[in-house]
Amino acid sequence: MATVDLSQFHQTFFEESHEGLDAMEAALLALDSGSTDHELVHTIFRAAHSIKGGAATFGFADMAAFTHVAESLLEEVRSERRAVDAGLIDLLLRSLDCLRGMLDRTSRGQPAADAGSEALRAELAQLVAGAPAPAAVQASAAPATGWAIRFVALPHLLQTGNDPLRVFNELQTLGRLEVLRAFVTESAPADFAALDPGQCHLGWELRLHGAVARADLDAVFDWLDGDCELAIAPLAAAATEAVVATPVPVAAATPAAETPAPAREATVASGAGHTDGGSIRVGIDKVDALIDMMGELVITQSMLSDIGEHFDLSQLERLREGLAQLERNTRELQDSVMRIRMLPIGSVFNRFPRLVRDLERKLGKQVRLELHGEHTELDKTVLEKIGDPMVHLVRNAIDHGLEMPEQRRAAGKSETGTLTLDAHHEGSNIIVRISDDGAGLSHERIRAKAVERGLVSATQPLSDDEVAELIFQPGFSTAAQATDLSGRGVGMDVVRRNVRDLGGSVGVKSVAGQGSVFTIALPLTLAIIDGLVTTVGAERYIVPLISIVESLRLPADAVRRTAGGGEVFRFRDEYLPVIRLHHAFGCADAVTAIERGIVVVVEDGGQRVGLLVDELVGQQQAVIKSLEKHYQQVQGVSGATIVSDGSVALIVDVGGVVRLGRRGKAA
Amino acid sequence: MAGKRAAKRDGEQAAGEAVVLPPDCRMATLAALHTELVAALPGGAVELDGSQVERVDTAALQLLVLLRRALDGRGGTLAWRGSSAALNDAAGLLGLAKILELPAARPA
Repeated sequence: MATVDLSQFHQTFFEESHEGLDAMEAALLALDSGSTDHELVHTIFRAAHSIKGGAATFGFADMAAFTHVAESLLEEVRSERRAVDAGLIDLLLRSLDCLRGMLDRTSRGQPAADAGSEALRAELAQLVAGAPAPAAVQASAAPATGWAIRFVALPHLLQTGNDPLRVFNELQTLGRLEVLRAFVTESAPADFAALDPGQCHLGWELRLHGAVARADLDAVFDWLDGDCELAIAPLAAAATEAVVATPVPVAAATPAAETPAPAREATVASGAGHTDGGSIRVGIDKVDALIDMMGELVITQSMLSDIGEHFDLSQLERLREGLAQLERNTRELQDSVMRIRMLPIGSVFNRFPRLVRDLERKLGKQVRLELHGEHTELDKTVLEKIGDPMVHLVRNAIDHGLEMPEQRRAAGKSETGTLTLDAHHEGSNIIVRISDDGAGLSHERIRAKAVERGLVSATQPLSDDEVAELIFQPGFSTAAQATDLSGRGVGMDVVRRNVRDLGGSVGVKSVAGQGSVFTIALPLTLAIIDGLVTTVGAERYIVPLISIVESLRLPADAVRRTAGGGEVFRFRDEYLPVIRLHHAFGCADAVTAIERGIVVVVEDGGQRVGLLVDELVGQQQAVIKSLEKHYQQVQGVSGATIVSDGSVALIVDVGGVVRLGRRGKAA
Repeated sequence: MAGKRAAKRDGEQAAGEAVVLPPDCRMATLAALHTELVAALPGGAVELDGSQVERVDTAALQLLVLLRRALDGRGGTLAWRGSSAALNDAAGLLGLAKILELPAARPA
């Protein structure tokens, strides 16, 4: 038989295992919050079971051994021989973290087990061995002189690739196997003709004679879990002896007996070394939509080539129609392709229940987490990068925003604070809101801090919004006294920078005593923007459509010079600075007189400026090429693209230009 | 029950063509064998040739066991024209050799 290179499936195994762990975590947290749904226990068990199966298949013995013990513990919970309590959930959560670490190490080709995982495994094993359980389980710790096994296949057993023949073969290697009885089960059809040879309808009563450790026996049947009904009991005579006699430390006995009490700090940090550039799972409906679109494109193409073959001017109208259809098809195809990269934000949200739980314990606060809009879809790249800033904001909200229960009570609020994560679409943006009903930003403290850091002068008048903006300034650390949560070298300025790198913005609104709302706005995708093509001298610049408020031609006297040398103009009851793009980017031969050019009013993060360009060319979708990758980072430019005539146009980074403008105003 | 089975074996001489079990007698090939056996069932006496069997799995043995059961149910008989070591070993391991009344392994 040909051997299969299993390593090609490793990546899938890692991904599925991570998903399984996520599902386990969610279920554990649901149990933790008091749910009694038995299905949750099954979910946890199933996840552990498939990780074990996969690990064993691929020869990751450490991981298989670890999950095996965890699974044994879960089996006791599943069969209601062990009650679920906070301690158990805590242990299982730590095991989960440990498994994540093992997965990451394995995916990097390092040994999966370390001191932490070994200690935790021992802790689990000890719990399993020391379980207050019926005699059968207690006896299982010691090797018996034999086992009575009742093994009834479920109909689908053969479909899983399992074969009782192999199982029996393996049992034979452990001890002397005796088939007491083989029988046909109830599930077999009465009519031979109606039999599906792929379904299994057999059962056996077996005796396995010899000093076989229960663990070895379990290892044989591991594969069949869920595919058969299995009852294993020590042979009668041996059983009583095993329970009554003082336990003899035999080498084959369960490892828990000799293992010392495990260290508490067994948890292993995970998530640090996620492998990038992975694969993406796509719903079949999205692929079908693509194929549909492709079909239409082919029809259009053949129609056009038909026109092209015998073209005369009378067909001009048809040609136009065909081209319009081609454009429509292309756009739809583009949309469908982009949709493939879209994933629900729920995968990021899912990590928060755990984080909130841990922080609650650590800080002694009570937090209710509400999640809304988990199904909102986001570009995969954006999704991967938005996690860290969000974690930071959530930590901050709980650490600094929400008050201690007694403070909340004193303020007439419920002792449990509410933290809400919400995601939804707004135009071509995704809006993610992180809101808490805590104390709100302390303007006095922020101000004092900013003055201390020299960010503002003590006398400068500041509006509430301007004070709130200060926390995003580099060098402003929010933590009055550094807890171990904050002070990780990541300030709000880093959050803002990370979000900006994604082409998004982050802002805060806060009401003293009622809480704060952090709002992150993100573009749907990083790869394509709708832009307005403009000319400046001989160059072309593309201004992202989403940031454009209005374009207008100003008379020469509408622009006034300010004391600092800047220019402003009146736009809807406010004065906006003018940024001459030819000046900012150093373009020669550009229009310099305001009245001959066009002013494009753009907005970024609530700030508006007018950009002076020569002319507007038209609207175009631009596929963004990174300048950084091909050349170097240029301030005020977010990337480049190729326009319809084949020349290169630069895409204006509105945020960067607005910052340039404000700096100009301040100067 | 055993007595009844033995009695049936006595009158099994009327067998026609034997159904030959293929060398690879495993799940993937069983659909064809199943069809053949279903066709042979109404005759009441089925004769099997297992001498060519090199590979066999639980599904195949189960098929034979259920054939046996169906034959018993309608008062038919199962006879063997030959068996192989592979077939006998597998049936022995699963404790099905007795039900199937397999003969000693020998070429047909």
